[in-house]
Amino acid sequence: MEKRNLIFKIIMNILIFFLIAPLIILAIWSFSKIWPWPDLFPKSFGIRGFKYIFNPSNKSLKILMFSVWLSTVVTVITLLISIPAAKALGVYNFKGKRVFKILVLAPIIVPPVVVAMGIHVAFIRMGLANTFVGVVLVHLIPCIPYGVRILTNVFEILGESMEIQARVLGANPFQAFIHITLPLLAPGLLSAGSMVFIVSFSQYFLTFLIGGGKIVTFSMLMFPFIKSGDRMMASVYSSIFILTTLTVLLVMEKMVKSYYKGENYFYL
Amino acid sequence: MSQIQLKNISKHFEGKQVLKDINLFVKEGEMVSLLGPSGCGKTTTLKILAGLIEPDCGDILINGDSVLNIPVERRGVVIVFQDYLLFPHMTVEENVAFGLKMAKVKKSKRIKRVRDMIDLVQLNGHEKKYPRELSGGQRQRVAIARALAIEPRVLLLDEPFSNLDTRLRETMREFVCQIQKKLGITTILVTHDKEEALMTSDQVAIMLGGEIKQFGSPAEIYERPVSTIVADFFGEKNYIKGEIKDRFFICDVGKFKTDFNGFSKVKAMVRPEEIEISARDGENGILGIIKSKTYAGERVYYTIKTGNMEWKCILSSQKTFNVDEKVFIKIDFNKVVFFKDEE
Ligand SMILES: Nc1ncnc2c1ncn2[C@@H]1O[C@H](COP(=O)(O)OP(=O)(O)OP(=O)(O)O)[C@@H](O)[C@H]1O
Ligand SMILES: [Mg+2]
Repeated sequence: MEKRNLIFKIIMNILIFFLIAPLIILAIWSFSKIWPWPDLFPKSFGIRGFKYIFNPSNKSLKILMFSVWLSTVVTVITLLISIPAAKALGVYNFKGKRVFKILVLAPIIVPPVVVAMGIHVAFIRMGLANTFVGVVLVHLIPCIPYGVRILTNVFEILGESMEIQARVLGANPFQAFIHITLPLLAPGLLSAGSMVFIVSFSQYFLTFLIGGGKIVTFSMLMFPFIKSGDRMMASVYSSIFILTTLTVLLVMEKMVKSYYKGENYFYL
Repeated sequence: MSQIQLKNISKHFEGKQVLKDINLFVKEGEMVSLLGPSGCGKTTTLKILAGLIEPDCGDILINGDSVLNIPVERRGVVIVFQDYLLFPHMTVEENVAFGLKMAKVKKSKRIKRVRDMIDLVQLNGHEKKYPRELSGGQRQRVAIARALAIEPRVLLLDEPFSNLDTRLRETMREFVCQIQKKLGITTILVTHDKEEALMTSDQVAIMLGGEIKQFGSPAEIYERPVSTIVADFFGEKNYIKGEIKDRFFICDVGKFKTDFNGFSKVKAMVRPEEIEISARDGENGILGIIKSKTYAGERVYYTIKTGNMEWKCILSSQKTFNVDEKVFIKIDFNKVVFFKDEE
């Protein structure tokens, strides 16, 4: 028993190490001025990167806020679309349901780039290229599969019975959705929302293509530094990126939990 | 207070007929049982009544008015499902108040009504608990209180006791019957427990294969089944074919006196518990031999062979016989139910 426990602990620690180590290195990198190759530690430290980011004339923070806003909009729209779709796939039986379930994943399987090329042309014609709306719309392509897929699984477990019970007790469809389905769905919405937010927040190519350089997101700011090999700047941006997504996820969880009175919010 | 009438209700699911021409009349304040084996369409009937499923054809009248076009939430028909389906994110209180809240009942009135309901189902002290903190019986009480809180016109109970253990089932059954009588609410109880149906209801509808085979009072259903199928539903029976002639029933095992003279070719149904067994011959006894014996506590099940006929008998365990013992059986053919022999 003791031995098994020990092995378990070792494996746990190794796993945690592999998760944390890159983050630590990222943190060190973002503060180092010079870190030549074979050295184990940087030769000197500096805060040039953070200075750069927090310098208002570079607009980094503004773009960061804009990115968070954009991804939040994308997340909300994705969830709004995903809920009915997932309910249909998870609860109802209809012909070709399995085909639909696989087709929903198509945007992840087929590289979005392929689709985006065609969409770009269409968007230019419709005047959606280089606009906020256009970028939001194109972000939906890689996001919806995650939203629908996660929520479908939740609906499969949840079923329709609670909603039916609510209806029998005199709730109209809208009331049943608001008072019963939505709260029961909350944990699922949280995981789907987190996933979708991250997918949207880290979109680089689609934003670049449809936004045409006019719509600039945080991940687009990162790229030039990574490409040019400025590791320190890239690390600074990555750190901020990770901190932002973590913060957003925490805020989301807090919101859901406080709304549904904390402790009893996992029903499944 | 309402009376319900189902008129020629039929329903198909994917080409399979689940309900065939259901007709049912429930008087005001009555408790009617829908009794039938699994899959015979009991739940479907309730769902149609509540408006959760649309029937293919037929009509539903409540107090004489068709309710087919009234949506679920305004029909005033509440179902309590088998698994209670309490809302897990709401306390007992909130669960009970749910229907009232949906109906936008004023808060002060709502609080009073919820308190009354919680008193009624004797759950005082549990108001702030969540469903997962309750026992099975308590959950069921919440489900019933929640259903009754909105003062429905009709209460539908779908196998409400089948999830409870035997003891609790009896308690809850009595409890629910009491409440039903007290409030005088028109109720349909779905069950596949024969005893439950006979004990609790004013009327019983026997449902088999999507059809109502017989509808009547518990005594009527048990004592005068209209067909062998209905009779068999209440346990295995003995059947013997024969002829009625001049106030006598003539069959393979003998000639017996009877008052019955409905038709001549008949199939007589003898209930296992109506057969008397004795070691010595009285008058009109049939000689037989005990083939098997199964002990079941207060009762003992025997099979007795007389000629080429095997009889199933149930006896109280006070008097016992042994396998291979020679006995005489006696049947009162005035109590026997005769069916027309179709073949
Ligand atoms: N939504 C549905 N789609 C297809 N078939 C269905 C549907 N609902 C019920 N059925 C079928 O209709 C028949 C009757 O079902 P129902 O649920 O009414 O039975 P029941 O009498 O309530 O049985 P039980 O005692 O097991 O609850 C069953 O054969 C079932 O398979
Ligand atoms: Mg059922």
